[in-house]
Amino acid sequence: MSEPGMVVEGPLAGLEEIKKQYPTERAALMPALHAAQREFGWLSHEALAAVASRLNLPEATVRSTASFYSMFQGKSTGRHAVRICTNVACMVLGAEGLLAVLNGLYGLAPGQTSPDGRFSLEVMECIGACDKGPSMLVNEDLHTDLSAEKIIEVLETYE
Amino acid sequence: MTGVKVKYLLGNIDNPNSADIEEYEKAGGYQALGKALSMESAMVIEEVKKSGLRGRGGAGFPTGMKWMFADRDPKFPKYIVCNADEGEPGTFKDRIILEKNPHVLIEGMAIAAHALKAEHGYIYLRGEYPAAKKVLETAINQAQRRGCLKFPLHIHQGAGAYICGEETALIDSLGGKRGQPRLKPPFPVSEGLFGKPTVVNNVETFANLPFIIKNGAEEYLKIGNPECPGNKLFPVSGHVERPGVFELPMGTTLREIIYEHAGGVKGGLALKAVIPGGISTPVLPPDKIDCPMDFVSVPKWGSMLGSGAVIVFAEGTCLVKVAWRSLKFFERESCGKCTPCREGTGWLRAILERIENGQGREGDIGLLEDVAGNIAGNTFCPLGDGAASVALNFIRHFRSEFEGHIKTDCRKMAVGP
Amino acid sequence: MVTLSINGRKVELEAPVTILEAARKNGIDIPTLCHHPALELWGGCRMCLVEVEKMPRLQTACTVRVADGMAVHTETPRVVAARKAILEFFLINHPLECPTCDKAGLCALQDLTVKYGAVAGRFEEGKRVFPEVVDDPVIVRNMKRCIMCTRCVRMCDGVQGASAIGVIDRGAGSHIEPFSGGRYNCEYCGNCLTVCPVGAVMSKLHRYTYRPWQMEKTVKTICSFCGVGCTLRLEVRDESIKRVSAEYGDGVNNGLLCGRGRFGYEYADSPERLKTPLIKRDGRLERATWDEALGYAAERLLEIKKSGGGAAIGGIAGGRTTNEEIYLFQKFLRAGLGTNNIDSIARLGLLPAQKILEGVFGQGAAANLISGIPHSEAVLVVASDPTKLNPVMGLEVRAAARAGRKVITIGHVDGLKRHRTHRLEAKTGPGQETLIMAGLLGELLKVKPLTGENPGLEDAIRQWEKTLPGPDEVEKAAGVAASLISATAADLKEVSTSSIIAGRELASSMDMRTNMLLLAALGYILNSRIFLISEHPNEQGLIEMGCSPDMLPGERPLEVSTFREKYEQAWGAGINPEAGLTLMEMIEQAGASIKALYVLGEDPAFNLPARGRVKEALGRLDFLVVQDIFMTETAAMADVVFPALCWSEKDGTYTNLEKRIQKLKKALVKEGIEDWRILAEIGKRAGLPARYRNVSDIFREIAQVSPIHAGLSFESIEEGGLLWPYKGKPLVYSATPYSAAQSSSVSTAAGGLYGPWAEAAWSGAPQAQNGLKLVLDKPLLHSDTLSTHSGALMDLMGGPEARLCPETGSKLGIADGDAVKVSTEQGHISLKARLESGLPEDALFISNNFRGAGAFELFGYQLEPESKTPVLTAQNLKVERL
Repeated sequence: MSEPGMVVEGPLAGLEEIKKQYPTERAALMPALHAAQREFGWLSHEALAAVASRLNLPEATVRSTASFYSMFQGKSTGRHAVRICTNVACMVLGAEGLLAVLNGLYGLAPGQTSPDGRFSLEVMECIGACDKGPSMLVNEDLHTDLSAEKIIEVLETYE
Repeated sequence: MTGVKVKYLLGNIDNPNSADIEEYEKAGGYQALGKALSMESAMVIEEVKKSGLRGRGGAGFPTGMKWMFADRDPKFPKYIVCNADEGEPGTFKDRIILEKNPHVLIEGMAIAAHALKAEHGYIYLRGEYPAAKKVLETAINQAQRRGCLKFPLHIHQGAGAYICGEETALIDSLGGKRGQPRLKPPFPVSEGLFGKPTVVNNVETFANLPFIIKNGAEEYLKIGNPECPGNKLFPVSGHVERPGVFELPMGTTLREIIYEHAGGVKGGLALKAVIPGGISTPVLPPDKIDCPMDFVSVPKWGSMLGSGAVIVFAEGTCLVKVAWRSLKFFERESCGKCTPCREGTGWLRAILERIENGQGREGDIGLLEDVAGNIAGNTFCPLGDGAASVALNFIRHFRSEFEGHIKTDCRKMAVGP
Repeated sequence: MVTLSINGRKVELEAPVTILEAARKNGIDIPTLCHHPALELWGGCRMCLVEVEKMPRLQTACTVRVADGMAVHTETPRVVAARKAILEFFLINHPLECPTCDKAGLCALQDLTVKYGAVAGRFEEGKRVFPEVVDDPVIVRNMKRCIMCTRCVRMCDGVQGASAIGVIDRGAGSHIEPFSGGRYNCEYCGNCLTVCPVGAVMSKLHRYTYRPWQMEKTVKTICSFCGVGCTLRLEVRDESIKRVSAEYGDGVNNGLLCGRGRFGYEYADSPERLKTPLIKRDGRLERATWDEALGYAAERLLEIKKSGGGAAIGGIAGGRTTNEEIYLFQKFLRAGLGTNNIDSIARLGLLPAQKILEGVFGQGAAANLISGIPHSEAVLVVASDPTKLNPVMGLEVRAAARAGRKVITIGHVDGLKRHRTHRLEAKTGPGQETLIMAGLLGELLKVKPLTGENPGLEDAIRQWEKTLPGPDEVEKAAGVAASLISATAADLKEVSTSSIIAGRELASSMDMRTNMLLLAALGYILNSRIFLISEHPNEQGLIEMGCSPDMLPGERPLEVSTFREKYEQAWGAGINPEAGLTLMEMIEQAGASIKALYVLGEDPAFNLPARGRVKEALGRLDFLVVQDIFMTETAAMADVVFPALCWSEKDGTYTNLEKRIQKLKKALVKEGIEDWRILAEIGKRAGLPARYRNVSDIFREIAQVSPIHAGLSFESIEEGGLLWPYKGKPLVYSATPYSAAQSSSVSTAAGGLYGPWAEAAWSGAPQAQNGLKLVLDKPLLHSDTLSTHSGALMDLMGGPEARLCPETGSKLGIADGDAVKVSTEQGHISLKARLESGLPEDALFISNNFRGAGAFELFGYQLEPESKTPVLTAQNLKVERL
């Protein structure tokens, strides 16, 4: 596409580099959504529209694609994303009990953000750390072998 | 049973710097690539065909055959894609390669690129593996600087969709679309990524290539089951003493994996059930653990090798709950494209949920069987079939537990030992 | 050859189609829900599962291709059980609102449930709930009823190319929404409604007012909005249109419609429709009987003819009148009143543009099949937006883009912003497209050899080449990068077939001649089918039926006596050999040489530039007759007004931009007299015999007198219409002088409308003017003022807007939604500003649809000397925030 006057500054300017990794602009959509999520915090309509405009894609298409993937957040989130696995391997090692701990301590329910805006909680399917379950991701950090005590200890290191 | 015992996938992972290219090269890394580059592309494909390597993603399709189809397609450019969207619950084998031994993957991809004259490569890495992403980025940079990578190789980060492990869904997702399985034909080997011939192989599959090229197909065929040769990574989780990933020859029995390598059932408890290849594969009762773990044997024992992810359940585990959680997984991960999977997985989950909650009814087991039967065989891709067979096999092997549940509420029963 | 068996029956096929196609071709029905022949295959619903011997799993008939020796069974117990199971899966979450669902009776899910038997409710959990979304003016979305067949999405993405909706979320939570999640912000084609098999997306028009089976009739007719001539189905009850639809396979549109066609029909039922004839008495229009009005009009026109001669009378026709009406209209004026002062809105561009092209390539030069566009290797779109003006033709350009063809836009073409390969657009203003076309032609001539097929034309192009501006010159004057022009030419180098679509804007220019010849040269070198955008459903008919001052029906030049004589004989009256006045000349002469005007289905007081002056001129007439369906601004000034019947209330024919003659069918019986009868009656009073019983009789007369229509009959027009060349003889422009022996040819030197090719010299690069330019906007959802009488279209765009880009807005201190006053030397209007990104920075777009704030309050004009086409001008443009 030779569209003159494409903006290269402003939000998501970094996408110009990412676009070079793919032969089509559409293919840059997922990395663009990751970038937008980092930049905007979550994928608001504003963020989605910015991605659409950067990649010359229809807005509805961008929203549809984003909504397919569970890690793209369609609503505002807390400062730290807590993603806890409750799939079979972690479940049999007690993951569900941890949800109760989080609810009690931080008022966190799955799919929700704590009232103080500190944590958002998402119940994950397997996160590939089954040998050391129960496990969770906080932002990009993997924490394993969680127990009621350890999960609190870990989360307290995130302000 | 098994012949040669070597470790070529995870042999170096005890080295704290195993991910570094220098350490990898010190251990003989990238020699296979050098050898491959000195060979005609067609000879590399021939060697892989001869080796009998089967895809480690779960379906066990012969890798050499896949390559041959892609090679025969006249369209260019060709793409190679690494499926690192390891989402099958219980599976964490590829993560270990990605984080601890990334160069064996990169070398494998470089060999494949040479064999297929591929001009671009992508690693579709699941979004849940941020740590692996960092390691891979460093490793790719290193390989590029060393001149080991003669084609652009990019990491494409997934964002939480199990179905993207299915290769056509993965290709759509890599193209910036919703990751839903595509109609086949055309197959990816002729019309894959961006409409071009594409080979999608699993991380572990690529990681087998350096050994095959370096030592030759004949050496490779000496490992494991001749019908299904080579080493396999077995990630073991659940109620075992020493969970972890074990690199063992194909055909190693489930019993050996659980009792020798993983240290046996936790606390010396009795084994209640085992899932042999990730939760999409049918559960097996304890009397089936002499099953040799390879693509050919497991089906004969009533399940599938899948990803080789062994999940062990000790006595005391509520299998209704395990079944419920499994179906909840399928419900959450159904892409929604076809009717039976979209509507049926949730229905199965709902029935299991009421049984688990002590509200099961007379006839619920029959209903489960009926609904699962209506899904099975009628779905667009194997996800729905998997869901149905999970439900059917839990019932098949543990019917009395389900019946008991309908009569008695077990919610207060402890899960696990 | 493929041989297989279906249900034990041997089936032979030429090509390996899908099982579904093979079965349907052989009269075997396989139920489907997600499959639609116009859409990309999906294979998701699983309704079409069939048993194929030797294949363990059931197969989806819609996706699996037949193979030799295959044995297929479509209704075995196993298949039926699977289908019942699929239906049960659909129904567990379906709300079963059939009693209150407008789709009931037309619902595929309902029909299949009836066929395979209802299932007992074994699902006892709560059903999935999505709230019904009614906040859109025309589309209601009810996702509880959705079966996720995604036909609407595939229609919107893959056919309409709008991609305005998408599946949101996944799995059981999947549902379909526009970006906003609420109101649609789309092209409102409504093609999603056509393909929804259930009641998940439905029209809000006439909601809950009827059940499908209560429709009294469905009438297939032609749309009244633009020159594509889409086939519509009018569904009628109680003499009112309840729904407009189209089905796959219908007409040139193949079942697709645009928003105007689908939702714009309500004007027919408008209470503002004129019902009785009116005569102006003491300055006020008062009701009169038909006899009074017809008698009075004929009497006054004949008086004026007597005192001032026929040349004191003129006639103007609009593009929504039928061929039969136009024919009678010009016959009445020529033979009854002795005047050639006959013209139409085709003068605004289509007529002169077509005539120049025909001067180069021969008659019918722009008569090409719209359906061929996607098969061209490249499509050039120049200066007009087909996706707005001829929307369904625009879809074919999008289809071409999807098929990987090169799509190049020259000038501002918003509707192809995601479909084009190259965009040659920079500054707005006169001559910009001319420059870009000239630059592109020059570059193409460098890289693409001429074929030698037409040596005369090639000589002319070669002569011309020397004077064409180079890309650098174009970059300097028009602001389009030289490299882009060269790259475009390089991309077109290998092209062996192409399509060019151009609009009125090229002809409505002082460079008209150069523009059209550039287009012709590009067309020649690229082996193009050329399409001229036609904004009215029968604009082409106006040209063919002799509604112009120098042409007789059949597009025969008036000045050639043998043609004239034939008509004189047929009509039993003499024809003035002198060409009459053109559209703007008649207006300019009003009150001077022109004393009376008869206006048929047009509103010159609103629809012509320099509106103030036009109104003044009309006011100076001694006598003005208007025939229309609404009290237009012109009608309000008339001495006699005849209430016309509208498109759904009469029979007749329209000729579309492909030169395809199609039948308009009477769907409703409304009070009033059909337009042709009015014209026949008034003709009778002027001494013309009128022996017509119906439109078929008029068409017979046309076929008798018009050489190009010779041999046709109204009855012979089948569904799909009659295609050019009709059975008759096209006019051949030849280099040899006209002779009586060549009754269908005319030399370009003697009679070609705009002179020979050689005279077209490149006049040099027009210079771009700085500053804001006023551009005549053509909104997708409106057409003249007609569409403003349709409630749904008004709900979607209810008033005038001044569109400009946000950057220009902020420079002028104007925010979105601000009230602004726009003025030029012609006048001023107040309206709302609409800021839209993607618009050129130097352009202000205002349309001419809304009374009191039409763009023609602001535009003046200059006459292009050769064609007398009014070229829009706007001096001293000012925009202020109110």
